[in-house]
Amino acid sequence: MNPPPLRISLIGCGQIADAHLQEIRKIQSAQLLVVCDHHRPLAEQAAARFSAPNVCMELSELLEQHRPDVLHITTPPQTHRSIALAAIQHGVHVYIEKPFSLDAAEAREIVAAGKAAGVQVCVGHDQIFDPIWLALKHDHQCERLGRIVHIESIQGYDLQGQFGKLALNQRDHWVHRLPGGLIQNTLSHGLYKITDFLTDAEPPITAQWRDADEVGFPTELRASFWGKEISANLIFTSQAKPAQRVVRVFGTKQIVEIDFDGQTIRRARRLSLPGAFARLESPARQWMEASRAFWRNAWRFARSDIQYFAGMRELFTRFYASIRGGPAPIRPEEIVRVTALMDRIFACCKSIPSESSPVFAETRPSHVEAAS
Amino acid sequence: MRAFVTGATGFLGRRLVGALLARGDEVRCLARPSSDLNPLLELRPLPGRMCVVRGDLHCPDEFARQINGCDVIYHAAAEMRGATPVLFRSNVVATEEFIHAVAGRGVRRLVAISSLAVYLGAGDGREVLDEQSPLDPSPHLNYSYAYSKIVQERVTRQAAADAGIELVVVRPGVIYGPGRDCLSTRVGIRLGRWVVMMGGEQTLPYTFVDNCAEAIALAGSVGGIGGEVFNVVDDDPPTARQLLGKYRGRVEKLPTVRVPRSAIMPLSRLCLWYHQHSRGQLPAALTPYKSRVMWTPTRFSNAKAKQRLGWQPRVAFADGLARTFAAAAPGSN
Repeated sequence: MNPPPLRISLIGCGQIADAHLQEIRKIQSAQLLVVCDHHRPLAEQAAARFSAPNVCMELSELLEQHRPDVLHITTPPQTHRSIALAAIQHGVHVYIEKPFSLDAAEAREIVAAGKAAGVQVCVGHDQIFDPIWLALKHDHQCERLGRIVHIESIQGYDLQGQFGKLALNQRDHWVHRLPGGLIQNTLSHGLYKITDFLTDAEPPITAQWRDADEVGFPTELRASFWGKEISANLIFTSQAKPAQRVVRVFGTKQIVEIDFDGQTIRRARRLSLPGAFARLESPARQWMEASRAFWRNAWRFARSDIQYFAGMRELFTRFYASIRGGPAPIRPEEIVRVTALMDRIFACCKSIPSESSPVFAETRPSHVEAAS
Repeated sequence: MRAFVTGATGFLGRRLVGALLARGDEVRCLARPSSDLNPLLELRPLPGRMCVVRGDLHCPDEFARQINGCDVIYHAAAEMRGATPVLFRSNVVATEEFIHAVAGRGVRRLVAISSLAVYLGAGDGREVLDEQSPLDPSPHLNYSYAYSKIVQERVTRQAAADAGIELVVVRPGVIYGPGRDCLSTRVGIRLGRWVVMMGGEQTLPYTFVDNCAEAIALAGSVGGIGGEVFNVVDDDPPTARQLLGKYRGRVEKLPTVRVPRSAIMPLSRLCLWYHQHSRGQLPAALTPYKSRVMWTPTRFSNAKAKQRLGWQPRVAFADGLARTFAAAAPGSN
């Protein structure tokens, strides 16, 4: 007999909450119980559109009266720690939207509280559960890539998008009060794709950011990581158009490019034909690969399998399964590690005055401890 | 009279400021820190008649004291596009917080700009909707903008009552004029350069921006209308087919496909079915509910605005469209 569905709650009915509620509805092992927002109209619109049977405005009411199994926290990051700790204290499993916390100290506190209370804690690193990323991981497990030596993760950002416009127009927006500003709100998407392969605890980092759009806050960031076996570059850019979510993984057998928006994998392999023939072989391979990608995506479209938040749904499903005794989709130690790397990136960026020459600053773990 | 105008640099707001200045009001204009002030400066106000208050509606406490001494607030700021939570944050929550912040500052009247989109048509195509007509009872099924405006009206009414401020609600139709694309969703759907005209025989509830601004200005000054609601729509509106035909003749020969009226609902049902069947692979851009609200031939009465406000749409459609087309024509600034 199947266990009863988990009773799901959500706090913070802003833009990203729509994605959560939309995906929660698709999971059979979950039942939406209550949505909560400090502003009643926001909670009510979410409840009306996603058929939530209950609405409340206070966290205490959510936890004490509705007693959910799971709480999705989609509030501004400044509130994540206090909400998560209160939920954990009530024995509620928490899924926290990225960025997980303001800094690593908060992340450690939340994770430790979760362990002590025996509840699951998860972070919204959903893109590493996207079908295209899972396909890459499968290739890697089958050793088609060889040994990975380098990763390039490009995180494009559209300042004229809905959230970007809010950040531009509202100078007191919560995003500007994050230690890493607007970039911190999105950077983890680019970073956790790197840390999925680069597993060093404290790799040396060089990083710099700039207010390239002259909007009063940093909008471009470059960071480099030197792990023992893998190096990586992280590019956050708001200037390059179109805004892309692309990762290149450099293996000893193949170089693979993952395009999250196009849902394509492009592979570069050693050419086998000699001399001038290789100039024909390369585009022919690209053509065949593009053709295969087209038909694969057409087939997925026909099966209704092209969903923007597919990774989020997969992560939710695995997170809910972990509550039933399955493995955690993202280990708590990994949550803390990624947050600590973010801290170091921003510490590195802040160590250089923005007007200075573009010489990258470097931080090493000892330096970061002092900064944090 | 001293007026405070939110959204003052916007498409409607700048014309409203112009109308208020023209009749001799003193105007304080709320503009975001990032807003371009040139549209206001082009009004060439007399010295001391206009000032700009830099501020954001989401942080009303920062500028609320600038409202001291104002008789009327014209709340023209609105977000028109975006996800439902974004529209609610800007149009509903920010409005409520703004009204709470201005309580006790001596404001006599608040003129709130709503929309004709709040009504629920019966869908038979024969009715004329006036201010007594029922509002949409299931607004979460409607377009996000209409949903936010319906809730905004409700919240505004309560907040104004709590603050002891007299409320007048103006519900304009689609506001058109130089500087804004006049081919709205009421005409059809834009797909790149293509226009998919939905039906075509529905009359368009449009109002020329200068006409609308004058109606709103009157809603702030005419006495004895506290608590009233006014539809604002111009006389003798064209049909979607007529407007698109003129646009194609005068501005740009856009490629066009027409969906006959009889096909709109089946197509909408199909879109909704596919959205549900595919678990959201494509958005529910068309639903029977939205299509009925948007494309059922419906007329809106402006009799009350004419009678109680003494308003007349001075710019006729032919003139308004000529000015709009001239601004939109290739080569115009």
